[in-house]
Amino acid sequence: MKSLIFLLFCIIVKINAQGNTLVLLDNQVIRETHSIFFKSLQDRGHTLTFKIADDSSLVLSKYGEYLYENLIIFAPTIEEFGGNLSVDTVTQFIDDGGNVLIAGNSVTGDVLRELASECGFEVDEEGSFVIDHLNFDASDEGRHTKLALSSENLIDASVIVGNKKSIKPLLYQGTGILTDSENPLVLPLLIADSTSYSYNPDQPIKEYPHAVGKDTVLVAGLQARNNARVVFSGSLAFFSDEYFTSAVSRKQGNLKSDKSGNDEVSTAITQWVFKEHGQLRVKSVTHHKEGEKAPPQDYTIMENVVYTIEIDILEKGQWKPFTANDIQLEFVRIDPFVRTTLQRKPNGQYEAKFKIPDVYGVYQFKVDYDRIGYTRLFSTTQVSVRPLEHTQYERFISCAYPYYAGAFSMMFGVFIFSIVFLHIKEDDKKSKSD
Amino acid sequence: MAQISTVISRFYNDYSVKTPKKLKLIDAYLTYILITGVVQFIYCCLVGTFPFNSFLSGFISCVSCFVLGVCLRLQVNPENKHQFAGISPERGFADFIFAHVVLHLVVMNFIG
Repeated sequence: MKSLIFLLFCIIVKINAQGNTLVLLDNQVIRETHSIFFKSLQDRGHTLTFKIADDSSLVLSKYGEYLYENLIIFAPTIEEFGGNLSVDTVTQFIDDGGNVLIAGNSVTGDVLRELASECGFEVDEEGSFVIDHLNFDASDEGRHTKLALSSENLIDASVIVGNKKSIKPLLYQGTGILTDSENPLVLPLLIADSTSYSYNPDQPIKEYPHAVGKDTVLVAGLQARNNARVVFSGSLAFFSDEYFTSAVSRKQGNLKSDKSGNDEVSTAITQWVFKEHGQLRVKSVTHHKEGEKAPPQDYTIMENVVYTIEIDILEKGQWKPFTANDIQLEFVRIDPFVRTTLQRKPNGQYEAKFKIPDVYGVYQFKVDYDRIGYTRLFSTTQVSVRPLEHTQYERFISCAYPYYAGAFSMMFGVFIFSIVFLHIKEDDKKSKSD
Repeated sequence: MAQISTVISRFYNDYSVKTPKKLKLIDAYLTYILITGVVQFIYCCLVGTFPFNSFLSGFISCVSCFVLGVCLRLQVNPENKHQFAGISPERGFADFIFAHVVLHLVVMNFIG
């Protein structure tokens, strides 16, 4: 009996599991200094496999199948991965939908820099820290590199960082990241204050710093077009036990807290990057004429159509109906002819009713929902819209009677003309002979 | 001014004396068509193009009748005989009727 219960328990645990995660470390010490972080991942069902980053037996995939769904690289100083791993294989892993969390620090190695630039981030030069002479933590050792940041610096997206207002101040020490603001896929998850800059604290400033003020990104995220997610943090210490548990106090703005918000934020960020949050899918799409149930073979112009879509979000391993009020439907024939907001029905479906335009052709119902933090939702359904049948046109329109009269008078005119024309023929000949 | 009036009266006299009766008949028919067409066009300008197919078929029916009438006139005109050698006026009239049958079938189909 006991073994049976154990078996059941194992099955339940298996269902809750989030998939395999490979953790690459500089050395085994990181496993101890970041134990709270790893513990929280394991508690959420992740199976962690710890490896040293230059281990010669490293493999991401075997026989064309990936062994891991997620990759954590907590090895800032590594110059080259061991085994099968390289920038190319990690990039390929992201291209195939894998999620990656990378943490660097002020001595970020070349391989991580290269990986970051593949993802659209640029890590500042070796030895540089983000420095802020105003917003440093009280425990700072005098170089003003241990920043105390207000939760206001987080990105405005609760699906990625959690409820921004309730988060306590954050601690950060590490390098700055530059991102291309033109790149729509890159998200600055945490930015520095306007008084910050990124430079080597031991050297006099001779050149203009690469990153200044709010352009200095501390934690950057990327959601690729295939919905793979990458987070690059410029600070490994951000995830450490020390920062998770220590108090924050900053003179500027009187920022004080017994415990930092790093724990909360890193949990939210890992939940996002490993796709526990913000994953959407289309459950079903139906469309039909108003007053009918089944989709017709084709629609006729000017008909009223009802489009219904069900959208799910992944919450704690289960797909549940998604709630939003800004999902739009487009009815597209090269250009959108109709664009309307989908209305949420009590049963969790989204519905739009509209009249098909007076133009026939091949159309698509298109739902393209792309919001920060959520996976891109894209659904198209192709339908054909035909013109009215010959018998479907309106007949005997009163204002068209003059035209009818005109057409008939033409017919009548030909008739009369023919009779007269044929009869005056004789007269004509006679008159000629006269 | 006087010259213009003499031109017109001369033209009218020549027309009434020299033109065969048949051609005069055709001219009267063409005038009737022209008036009907103009009336429809003015009506369309006033009311709008709503039953556009009806307007088109009504108006195009007039235009085509006019064109067919002009064609008939050309073929029947004794002065053009050398151009239509081998085509008798009877043949021309038969063509005219045939074209009208086709035209009105199309117009009735399209008038809605």
